Amino acid sequence: MTAAPGTVLERLPATTKLAALFCISVLLFLTTSPSLLGAAAGAILVACLLLCREALVQWLKAWPLLLTIGIFALWKAFADGYHEALVLLLRLGTLSLVATVVTVTTSIRQFIDTITRLARPLEKLGIGNAHDIGLAIGLVMRLIPDVRQRYLAVVDAHRARGLPLRPSTLFVPMIIGMLKGADDMANAIDARGIRADTRTEKKVGHG
Amino acid sequence: MDIVFANASAKFANRNVLEPLSIRLTEHRIGIIGLNGSGKSTFARMINGLVFPHAGSVVTNGFETRQDAERVRSIVGYIFQNPANQIVLPVVRDDIALGMKRLRLGTREVEQRVSDVLARLGIGHLAERRAHELSGGEVQLVALAAVLATSPDIVIMDEPTNQLDLRNRNMVTRTIRDLVEDVIVVTHDLALLANFDRVLLFHEGRILADGAAENVIARYEELVQ
Amino acid sequence: MDSKSLVLVALFTAIIVVLGLIPPIMVAVIPVPIHAQSLGVLLAGIVLGARHGALSVLLLIALVAIGLPVLSGGRGGLSVFLSPTAGYLLGYLPAAWMTGWAADRVHDLPIRGWKVLAGLLAAAILGVLITHVVGIAWLIAYVGLSPLEAIVGDLIFVPGDLVKAALAAYVGRIIHENFGRRLIAS
Repeated sequence: MTAAPGTVLERLPATTKLAALFCISVLLFLTTSPSLLGAAAGAILVACLLLCREALVQWLKAWPLLLTIGIFALWKAFADGYHEALVLLLRLGTLSLVATVVTVTTSIRQFIDTITRLARPLEKLGIGNAHDIGLAIGLVMRLIPDVRQRYLAVVDAHRARGLPLRPSTLFVPMIIGMLKGADDMANAIDARGIRADTRTEKKVGHG
Repeated sequence: MDIVFANASAKFANRNVLEPLSIRLTEHRIGIIGLNGSGKSTFARMINGLVFPHAGSVVTNGFETRQDAERVRSIVGYIFQNPANQIVLPVVRDDIALGMKRLRLGTREVEQRVSDVLARLGIGHLAERRAHELSGGEVQLVALAAVLATSPDIVIMDEPTNQLDLRNRNMVTRTIRDLVEDVIVVTHDLALLANFDRVLLFHEGRILADGAAENVIARYEELVQ
Repeated sequence: MDSKSLVLVALFTAIIVVLGLIPPIMVAVIPVPIHAQSLGVLLAGIVLGARHGALSVLLLIALVAIGLPVLSGGRGGLSVFLSPTAGYLLGYLPAAWMTGWAADRVHDLPIRGWKVLAGLLAAAILGVLITHVVGIAWLIAYVGLSPLEAIVGDLIFVPGDLVKAALAAYVGRIIHENFGRRLIAS
């Protein structure tokens, strides 16, 4: 979902873009004038067309989100009048577009590095290790297809035997099976020394 | 290799999984066989410190497994029974690179090593594949590649051909035969041990037979009658 | 954090994501399709406890922030945090924590059988409550709905979530019976 490498926006550090998103959010909430909001929306739209067309494409592709905003705006129109509805539409529409720009112009690696940096203070609180964040994200991506396959396998087994799909017979085997695999994966992470430099060894020996 | 068990035993939930054992392993290729629950897997796991001895000690290539746990793990590569579970990142190439992180190599060298090890095992075409798309045999080889990339002295494999079809089993058997590293294989697949230097037969937590492959396998077959 | 906890946290985040991929179902009188995703959140709290359950949700939020399409409907990216329903996503975090905390208290008590189930149900309902409170607060503050409008709009989703709470309690109890407290070394 990233645009071609090397554009102006992509070279900006992620934290700068996030800070800009935050500032724009605050500014848009400070005003309740549809004309001001409209002007801002227009300016941002033009900037997108010039600097990051991909963001516009992705923004439109996420039409469920736009639909949700539309539904709330409609509600507002009936409840509080067109003025309020327009403010809502312009604010949320613009903000979701700016957010899309940031998402599209920042690589996954950059995000992970930024999150890791921001999480350093949390280390002091003893919540975990910042280095583990990249690994955790990788683990989730690794496990999603496995969980999905297991879910499908359990559903298929039910269909094959003509059993009704009940939560106890679906979720329980699914989760219990995965818990065993998790044990192995943890052992493998230790055996391969993947977290060797991120924490001190603490191991109790028993079979 | 030079692995020394000095009166080492293992317990699990107050049950003796492995009776006190003293043995020295110096051969190039060692096979470990026995029935399920005989203690053979536990024995293998004590060599790289996945399991610590309840009493006694295990010294692998000069490093005691409890005191020098990290060193031991860095010189012994372990392939688990379900190798899919030791592939930790979604893309093969990234997972192999992750295993090398502790070596603190430069990016270019890491990339080179990844390519080299994949080529060595004949699975270069799997570099960009996702872990869940791999066949049983491919998973085995990818896990092996990840382990070999860190240049271990000893490679331990736990039932490497367990659930493989014939073609995959042949592929893995060939690969193991061609390894230059010291190898310890726990297996039910007796054909795998054809050219091994020494085979240990475990039974009820003890070593029942120890020596040349044909003799020990014959003893095993006797046992199973 | 030991490796086992790390893997379990990631596993439950994966479960939350996959539950969001399951097609929404229509249940009886409820006029909106039910997504199973919040069920995963409650399960994370009940099975992993407060700390690790919350970390699972935090990891989910990180994945959304990165731009990966992990929310039900394939949603992802920073725009999610600026949508009208962002409150519900953010509410998952304190919900998982509180449900986990309550579930931990239930497991500490010397009770068995249906009492455990009732306790876990209470824990799960607590989580649902928190999610909706944060969701409503967001609707009021960010979208500009009046409190009444927000609560009425929110009410549609409550019955479905209560069903999920019951499911989470039920599954959570079975898992606890099979694995007990051995799952996590907090």
